[in-house]
Amino acid sequence: MAYLFFSGIHPAPRKELTRKKPLALLDVPPEKVILPLDLCKGPPAQAIVSVGQRVKLGQLVARAGGEGGAAIHASVSGQVTAIEPRPHPWGGESTAVVIANDRADTPCHTEPVADPNALSQEELLERIRNSGIVGMGGGAIPAHVKILEARGRVDTLIVNAAECEPYLTADHCLLLERARQVLEGMRALARVLGVERTFIASESDKLNAIERLERAMRRNGDRVRLRTVPTRFPMGAEKQIVRMVTGREIPPGGKPPQVGCAVFNVATVYAIGQMIRRGQPLTHRVVTVTGGSVARPRNLWVPVGTPLTNLLQSAGGLKEKPDLVLLGGPMTGIVQTELTVPVLKNTGGLVCLAPWERQTDYPAELCLQCGHCLASCPMRLAPVFIQRALENREMDKLCDLHPEDCMECGCCAYSCPCHIRLVDIMRRAKKLVRENGERAV
Amino acid sequence: MKRKLIESRRRQPRLSVPTSTAATMLDVMVALVPALVMAVYFFGLRVLTLTLVSMGFSVLFEYLYRRLTKQSNTLKDLSACVTGMLLAMCLPPTAPYWAPVLGAFFSVVVAKQFYGGLGRNFMNPALAGRMLLCTFPMLMTTWSEPFSWLPVFGSVDAVSCATPMSYLSNGALPPETVAQLFLGQHAGSIGEVSSLMLLLGGAYLLLRRVISPRIPLSYLGTVALLTFLFPIEGGRLEWMTANLLSGGLLLGAIFMATDYVTSPTTLRGQVIYGIGCGVLTVLLRYFGSYPEGVGWSILTMNCCVWLLDRAGRPRRFGVPPFDGTKRRLHVLAENLSQIRLVKPKSTRFFERGKVPGEAYLDQVITFGRQTAALGGVVIGTVLIILVVHRGTELTTYQRTQQQNRALLQQVMPQASYLTETPYQSPNAVSISAGYGDEALVGYVVEIQVPGFVGSITMKVGVNTDGRVTGVAVISASETLGMGTQALEEDYLSSFVGRTGTIRSSGANAVDTVSGATVSSKAIISGVNQALEVVAMLEIEEGGYEEGEV
Repeated sequence: MAYLFFSGIHPAPRKELTRKKPLALLDVPPEKVILPLDLCKGPPAQAIVSVGQRVKLGQLVARAGGEGGAAIHASVSGQVTAIEPRPHPWGGESTAVVIANDRADTPCHTEPVADPNALSQEELLERIRNSGIVGMGGGAIPAHVKILEARGRVDTLIVNAAECEPYLTADHCLLLERARQVLEGMRALARVLGVERTFIASESDKLNAIERLERAMRRNGDRVRLRTVPTRFPMGAEKQIVRMVTGREIPPGGKPPQVGCAVFNVATVYAIGQMIRRGQPLTHRVVTVTGGSVARPRNLWVPVGTPLTNLLQSAGGLKEKPDLVLLGGPMTGIVQTELTVPVLKNTGGLVCLAPWERQTDYPAELCLQCGHCLASCPMRLAPVFIQRALENREMDKLCDLHPEDCMECGCCAYSCPCHIRLVDIMRRAKKLVRENGERAV
Repeated sequence: MKRKLIESRRRQPRLSVPTSTAATMLDVMVALVPALVMAVYFFGLRVLTLTLVSMGFSVLFEYLYRRLTKQSNTLKDLSACVTGMLLAMCLPPTAPYWAPVLGAFFSVVVAKQFYGGLGRNFMNPALAGRMLLCTFPMLMTTWSEPFSWLPVFGSVDAVSCATPMSYLSNGALPPETVAQLFLGQHAGSIGEVSSLMLLLGGAYLLLRRVISPRIPLSYLGTVALLTFLFPIEGGRLEWMTANLLSGGLLLGAIFMATDYVTSPTTLRGQVIYGIGCGVLTVLLRYFGSYPEGVGWSILTMNCCVWLLDRAGRPRRFGVPPFDGTKRRLHVLAENLSQIRLVKPKSTRFFERGKVPGEAYLDQVITFGRQTAALGGVVIGTVLIILVVHRGTELTTYQRTQQQNRALLQQVMPQASYLTETPYQSPNAVSISAGYGDEALVGYVVEIQVPGFVGSITMKVGVNTDGRVTGVAVISASETLGMGTQALEEDYLSSFVGRTGTIRSSGANAVDTVSGATVSSKAIISGVNQALEVVAMLEIEEGGYEEGEV
């Protein structure tokens, strides 16, 4: 336990930019939304609408591409104008359904659940599957896949509200404003999984959100355990949060169900709650638009598929030229070169870093053997030795150091005073070990 | 396809700590400034010039080495400056100016650059330089009093004065008060006098996150514990405080042992390293011949860093505790279980099933047959030779001893031992002196006389009064039965007590043995010769020449 208190890093959080901002709608609704069919881990979805067809808010536009995929629903009402390849935030292009917004938000016919407790586990699971809910913390694994994997094997549900990335406050905002729905989603999820023990893990810098949750719990009579974890990056990572909350360590290469835990992001749980309450599929999410170059950083409630330009427009535009535009936090976010790419289901933030906010790319120097990477690694790896073994091409040593455990959180590269690009090195080491392992087999 | 990220977009931290190697080094130098200022206050400006010389030459040597070996210029990382500054901190303020120059050369060129520069050296460069200078007598043992300001130029009068360390190593408490030790009003190296300023520097480094508290705390804690448990003089606390505050301990624990390059990188390794440094320091202080032990202990532990790093590697995430150890033990047990004792194939004992290791039995037997004969012969021969050699050697020696003893008994029973003398006589083969209880008893003369067949060699003992004490025949080739009676002890003993010239008949006669007349006469003549020789010795002290003995 103590290891986690001291490992990891504590970069300047810069959450104060949006921490006290309420959840807001976009100032101007987007003219069109772009829904890439490639929205989650697993096979891409198959479009079931045709160009020119009118769709309503929440209407199914693409069927799940298979058991491992998730469905996609229209996040605005309007007309499908194109089904064509569009730039994808993860790089490259992907076929996307483009819907011109009629700004009416005509809802699709939905059937709210009168009494969620009356639904059987199977019915609940079916609903979750149909509403296209995916892991919204970053993994983008369809929720039903995760549930199926965990059902019957777990005794603990952990709702992950430890938003450890600097700058992002989307989950915080959700907890503050929608605590009740989060708890509702949690109850449903616990029922589907058949677990009694439920935790909400949140960081020590979100005490007001915990207070809000407690109040909501008192009203509902929920028996949820609240856990406060230290504010350190990457406390929100699956393995770390499980260790911090339950003290169990997930074996190398394993997943939370192996130690009897299921971890869901708070936004995912909220989406499930929303679906139960209103019968709505996943169409909107909270996105934090922030960074030093953004004029008015805000937490926005945006339809999935909104182009990034619309988000920036609602945030007052850019006050200076950003050095980097990132989808996600500055530690693990993906650099964006065009602002026409859409918001995805797992996009928690849009961060525009001003040049003064980030250190320029220093040239890498010779390793000082200071051991900061080792002290900061949440997986207890030794990047300094891995780097040396890689340099000297010592395969045996490299395998013994287990670089394959690395989750590329970037703590080592962040803390390196010599600015060695350790994430790249770890990635190379992982690849080498994997290839070597295959050859050995 | 789409999921494959382009290289430049790959996930990696877009933020980083706002430090660099140079900034880290600068922090170390800043942290050393208070101690330096205190030293200037106590010892005068010479301290400052010494430090500047040391830093300047470190930088110069680094530049020249990198330049001459056509490597990149590494002056910007400021590590040479830090090395120079730390080296100066270890010097006494009385040191001549050539000392830091030599030290800087050894530190920068030998201890650092020869191993590939910053990050590759295994020994703390500054300490290595200091320890080289330690080999010069008087250089590192001449200290000056605080407030006796030293001249900036020219040589310093050797005003030797005791440091707290020299008291401690003699098992006595230093006369300085704790406050004096703490503020630095005592003799010592430039950087080690003021504990207060060193602690300030350490706090700065800790706050700036340049060093972690693991090494200094474990180091100082170990020293504190050991000195508290085993005080030599005074109260436990007094002894502990004196030990903590004097000498180079704080400088070493805060600035030397925490050097990134030469200390372990793993967290557990760092703690073990600190404890090791502490134990060695206390041992060297208590039992070493040199008063201070910090430098040696840190250098020694520097050599163990790779081992500590290996030992201190944290447990793999998600693997139960001691899993690695268990696995290693399991492998060991498996390896051990592979060793099987080959039992002879015997149907009587193992009628059912196979004996473990049976597959190799034939091979072993064939090999054994092939080699057994040869091996047996070789070993047997060697053994026999050995035994015979040892045995004969021993018996020969024992027999000679016995013979000598018997001979002495026969020739001169009064004497307890014989010694060779340098006396010479034309008639005698050798003359030796027989000593009783520390007094000369007589002489034993070896004589050769012609016998019936060949010659008879005999020994005749004559005491200082000129009387025969005994006669013994050593070798003779007389015919058995014909002359041997003359050689028997009965006959020979009849000579005992005789003096003067012995005849074969008449007065002073020893009768000849019938049937061995020639032999008897030969012996009589031999005894006479011996008596003569001894008489001559008595008269003219033989052929003794002065200084010959």
